[in-house]
Amino acid sequence: MSKDVIGSVMVVGGGIAGMQSAIDLADSGYYVHLVEKSPSIGGAMSQLDKTFPTNDCAM
Amino acid sequence: MSKWEPKIIAFLCNWCSYGAADLAGVSRMQYPANIRVVRIPCTGRLSPKFILSAFMNGADGIWVSG
Amino acid sequence: MGNRTAVFKPYAQAVPGAFSISKKDKSPCTNACPGNVNAHGYVSMIGEGKYKEAMEIITRTLPMPGVLGRICPHPCEDACRRAQVDSPLSICTLKRFAADQVDINDLTVPEITPRDEKVAIIGAGPAGLTAAYFLALDGFNVTIFEALPVGGGMLRVGIPDYRLPPSVLEKEIAWVQKLGVEIQYDTVMGKDITVDSLTEEGFKSIFFGIGCHKDIKLGLPGEDEVENVIPGVKFLRDAALGDMKEIKGNVAIVGGGDVAIDAARTALRMGADKVSILYRRTEAEMPARDEEIEDAKEEDVDIQFLRAPVEIVAENGKLTGIKCIQMELGEPDESGRRRPVPIEGSEFIVDADVLIPAIGQKSDASFLKNTDGINLNRWGNFDVDQITYQTSREGVFAGGDAETGASIAIAAVGAGREAAISISRYLKGEDMAAGREKLEIPQQNFNAIPQKAKKIPRAHMARIPMDQRKSGFTEVELGFTEEQARQEADKCIDCMVCCECLECVKACGAKALTKETHEEKDRELELNVGSVVISSGFSPYSPKNLDFLGYEHRPNVITSLQFERLLSASGPTEGHVVRPSDHKEPKKIAWFQCVGSRENNRCDNAHCSSVCCMYAIKEAVIAKEHDPDLDASIFFMDMRTFGKEFEKYYIEAKEKHGVKFIRSRVHTINPVGDSGDLEIRYVKENGELIVDIFDMIVLSIGLEISPELKKLAKQFNIELTQGSFAQTATMNPVETTTPGVFVCGAFQGPKDIPQAVVDASAAATAAGELLAPARNTLTKTREIVPERNVIGERPRIGAFICHCGANIAGVVDIQALKEYIQTLPYIEYVESNLYSCSQDTQTNMTEIIKKHNLNRIVVAACTPKTHEPLFQETLINAGLNKYLFEMVNIRNHVSWVHKANPDQATEKAKELIRMSVTKVGLKAPLKEAKLNVNQNALVVGGGIAGMSTALSLARQGYHTHLVEKEDRLGGQALNLYKTWKGEDIQQMLDEMVQQVGSEENIQVHLSSTISQVDGFVGNFKSVISSKDGEEVVEHGVANISTGATEYKPIEYCYGNSPRVLTSLELDQKMMANDPMVNSVECAVFIQCVGSREPDRPYCSRVCCTHSVESALEVKKRNPDAAVIVLYRDIRTYGERERKYIEARKAGVIFIRYSLDNKPTVRVEEEGVIINTTDHVLGQPVEIEADVLTLATAIVPRKEEALAQYFKVPMNADGFFIERHAKLGPSEFATDGVFLSGLAHYPKPIDEAVAQGKAAASRAVALLAQGTVTTNGEVASIEPMSCSSCGTCVSVCPYSAPSFIEEGRFAGKSEINAALCKGCGLCVSSCRSGAIHLNGYDNDQIFAMIGVV
Repeated sequence: MSKDVIGSVMVVGGGIAGMQSAIDLADSGYYVHLVEKSPSIGGAMSQLDKTFPTNDCAM
Repeated sequence: MSKWEPKIIAFLCNWCSYGAADLAGVSRMQYPANIRVVRIPCTGRLSPKFILSAFMNGADGIWVSG
Repeated sequence: MGNRTAVFKPYAQAVPGAFSISKKDKSPCTNACPGNVNAHGYVSMIGEGKYKEAMEIITRTLPMPGVLGRICPHPCEDACRRAQVDSPLSICTLKRFAADQVDINDLTVPEITPRDEKVAIIGAGPAGLTAAYFLALDGFNVTIFEALPVGGGMLRVGIPDYRLPPSVLEKEIAWVQKLGVEIQYDTVMGKDITVDSLTEEGFKSIFFGIGCHKDIKLGLPGEDEVENVIPGVKFLRDAALGDMKEIKGNVAIVGGGDVAIDAARTALRMGADKVSILYRRTEAEMPARDEEIEDAKEEDVDIQFLRAPVEIVAENGKLTGIKCIQMELGEPDESGRRRPVPIEGSEFIVDADVLIPAIGQKSDASFLKNTDGINLNRWGNFDVDQITYQTSREGVFAGGDAETGASIAIAAVGAGREAAISISRYLKGEDMAAGREKLEIPQQNFNAIPQKAKKIPRAHMARIPMDQRKSGFTEVELGFTEEQARQEADKCIDCMVCCECLECVKACGAKALTKETHEEKDRELELNVGSVVISSGFSPYSPKNLDFLGYEHRPNVITSLQFERLLSASGPTEGHVVRPSDHKEPKKIAWFQCVGSRENNRCDNAHCSSVCCMYAIKEAVIAKEHDPDLDASIFFMDMRTFGKEFEKYYIEAKEKHGVKFIRSRVHTINPVGDSGDLEIRYVKENGELIVDIFDMIVLSIGLEISPELKKLAKQFNIELTQGSFAQTATMNPVETTTPGVFVCGAFQGPKDIPQAVVDASAAATAAGELLAPARNTLTKTREIVPERNVIGERPRIGAFICHCGANIAGVVDIQALKEYIQTLPYIEYVESNLYSCSQDTQTNMTEIIKKHNLNRIVVAACTPKTHEPLFQETLINAGLNKYLFEMVNIRNHVSWVHKANPDQATEKAKELIRMSVTKVGLKAPLKEAKLNVNQNALVVGGGIAGMSTALSLARQGYHTHLVEKEDRLGGQALNLYKTWKGEDIQQMLDEMVQQVGSEENIQVHLSSTISQVDGFVGNFKSVISSKDGEEVVEHGVANISTGATEYKPIEYCYGNSPRVLTSLELDQKMMANDPMVNSVECAVFIQCVGSREPDRPYCSRVCCTHSVESALEVKKRNPDAAVIVLYRDIRTYGERERKYIEARKAGVIFIRYSLDNKPTVRVEEEGVIINTTDHVLGQPVEIEADVLTLATAIVPRKEEALAQYFKVPMNADGFFIERHAKLGPSEFATDGVFLSGLAHYPKPIDEAVAQGKAAASRAVALLAQGTVTTNGEVASIEPMSCSSCGTCVSVCPYSAPSFIEEGRFAGKSEINAALCKGCGLCVSSCRSGAIHLNGYDNDQIFAMIGVV
């Protein structure tokens, strides 16, 4: 099977999890198709004002 | 002296305050044009000598933000 | 919560930072138009008062707006969805309104590239004029041959002037002529010209738009001979051309179509005494438009129904009347209308002086000869291809009434345009039919009809008075007033959202948005991939269905997500917390927890959403930061702050910020009059009913999975849990039930950001393990342009100023800037660009840098935070070192924020540019060193997390040293019985240990510890010590997963009796099948033993689930046993909540205690006696237990030495501190060192496995690069000046400085560029001035300050 393996991954969803997965995969040497239905990545986190426990800006 | 305008030098951390100043622009907030921004990589970079130098060069106020 | 237009960007900082356009299904009005006129578009423009733009939209597909705006039967209005509110918009009349406002001949004639080919159009009716118009736009040489002396065809000679004044038509024909179309009048086909003669004259293509101008006969004897029998079409034509001026006596008209009505009203205007229309069916069947019938009736036209002519009555060849027969309606015919049937013997005579038969018209192509090769169909109409409109003869086309039979003008316009497209393609030698097949256009997904839409009556045009109407041919209808038109247009509900006005295309100076990109549609792509990661997230629960909350009915009841937007500076209120109803600042806000979570009755979400407690506290704290006097109350069931540092945040919210926490579920909300305030009722713990009033209520909505995602899961064949989350196993927490498909984020289970990030990396590595053989097969590497050496050169500075469209140039005087910059020292080149970031400018910039031999670049544009990398790339492409660059932010920091003061803005821009020009002159090229990364890894700690990391690394081909201080692998998992999902932990652990043992790439070091670590990312050298001696290993990365231990209690009589156990000890007994557990009659659990105490202010995260699981196990072994759990808050987060429900159902009793009233325990001979207070009854309770299990804290090991070796920090509790609480949970700030398992924070096995994998993923991302590139903008030390004080070594958060150990500069400090992040902390701390920060050095910053 190893010969037929395709070195690319489709990541469905460009929220914080999808972005992190895509970054890790791309940095590890795989071609990534990041699929997101809205016009920009960021997902739910981009709607948040700040994050605890540090109250950092979520952007 | 008809109208005195202060000159303020701002030392802004690249990661937070500089970005905040960007966002102020994006939000079209209006403020007086007396500020001259020096972008620094971190407020940790700010040497007290910069502040002294700024005053010596005629700054009326220094704003450090980070 | 704000308003959004069709063109939008989700939020200011969106990535990609581009706008997008929302389009739903094509607007029904536009879709219904046979002429493809963008009705939605021009209605929109009229609504905005942009009449010229409206005309531009109309003339894209229709050259005659004023004509069609008067006479079109408007199929668009039949489709209008506004009818669902009140009535369809008066779209047609709006079109007329636009044409009334703007003279069509004032529109800009588009640029036309002339072509040589000649095209002949036969007939100057709507089809012919339209075809000519579009062909002329394409540059063709068009001549129209018209048989009549006037243009317009039926529009001119079929439609009476009182409906369509000839001046309107003439104006629009002039517009067609303005494009270069020639019209030859009085040129009759078959007489003056033929198909062959046209061909001979060099016409390469012919279009027939000859219409239907021949009357259909009644078929009654005498029709042709009797005087004063005038066919309808002829009558109208004669009247229109002035050939007939007057009519006397009684006029009878036979027919029921528009021609009949038009003839009647025309006859009336020409002086007829009485006009009767005889129609053989009833009014309902009449084909004429209802408005026309109404108008005719108003004008006293006598319409008689159910009468059919049977005989023309004449005396001496002169008409006296018409014999009719009475009809009745029978069965429906082919057309669906009821067939008129004559009533025998009912004949009667209608007196008439003039008879106008108007029962239809047909096309007359009798001029065609057989040799022409143009086929007609059986009705005598042209036979054409339904897509191209080409006839049976190549190059000859036909359309309009001549092709369809008598129809409406707009259909002829549509046909004319389609034929023009074909002719154009034909003459250019292109495929005529390509891409034109008629598609079913979806008509389902539209902009919602606003619920608040008010009913507004349809606007009607004013008309001229009746006496004027009957006495002449003045136009009856006067059009809309501007007010009427605007109001009518504003009723549009924007079905498609975007109206395709293409105003945005005009506005986009950067040409990013073109007609083509605007028309982009969804495309289907087929991708071949080795693996799939699904990270589609959650959807927020919609509280609409929880009626009692009144969400959406009461404006001041909002969701937590909406509240986030209110808090946000980039939100709809720019960060001012105001309530929606009256924009008043709320003084009292209540948060309701568990809305759509832990709720099986009113919604289907039994799970705990895991994140709401924390975000509610955060929102309350931030809201109180906005307004310290705010009264913030959180109504909750259990406070679930089980994450790292969360409990402290909770305590601070309570004690420092004064947020109130009320343990109650509110059952009633009532509005307080019209004030917008909300009265709530709830029962306190002691049973007391409280009524309170709040300004605003925030619903802490839960996380759930959308139906869409469930569908996707089905497509991937992924099994779901009861809560519809992706089903995973404890040891493979990111693997779905479908091989090769992985999951992360909230789809795996409700979770917070750090856990989602952990899972995300874990999923990446899981996919990586699978695809390791194909690594780097599909990735691309880029070409490198050799760098030019500029050292020693005098600065040659190039400055590029960006207009950013009007964003900068609209405020800042660019010309003044340019002139000013020319005066600055070392400036060699200045230019300004409309958009400096555009691809063209970048290419151009590269050329200019080379041409002018520039060696320093300044770009004055937007923010370096987004665009610096782009311009640096351009420098690299031009062969310049990317650090020879400075960016000046004259947009965000100047033009956008000083709009009102252009002079001051320009002045500020000048100064900022001067500062940067001065600085860039002092900049030197910087080197980015590449250091090789050793491809081996070190994992410290052989528990679940460590093994998981080691396995993932090894499976991706990295040799890994796994160091465990005990003599066996497994860590704390060795003590555990079952997971909450019921899996046997020992069995799973065995398998994992075996996998580690059989993995070639893992070298296990048991009974070993780390005794020394040297080096840094990519190049570590560590010493592994064991009783057998020391081994030095080199490795590129390290992972710390040293675990934690169980708290050994000093409270609750632990150690005084064999009956008092810790959770782990109980697990041991269960594994050993100890009779003590099997026969227990009363088992008690005490939660939070050693956790959430002042000494240890964190939640141990796993104990609630563990005790619930153990309680269930006790019940399973002995169903009669009494099982009691004494708790503070039950924290069975996520789907673990189902276990809690199950335990309660199984009869496990849960009694809450508080920190200030903890249970007491004493040991007696017969058992353990526990005293506590029942939280419901408030009564003391004494329990005699056989077994008391203490759910003890997880205590970190406080590995000080290890922390020192790797220079990584620990928090006050002794857990290691990760790089970033949210975004870097599995790695340290120190590059190359990673973190997983209990050493990070207490966590269950699945999360430890995930984090182990995540650490591996982050490590692989680094190892796979092979090298680490250091940043050029780092600090460096001049050893000669260093005083060896060590300040830099102690202040650096990244451990970059260290003392040189040997050689000439031993004892001095040096900075490892690979570790330095360039923050400059050491530079400003260095009392000897020995440290320099490249790119931000003292001389550079002083120089900037010096020129301010």
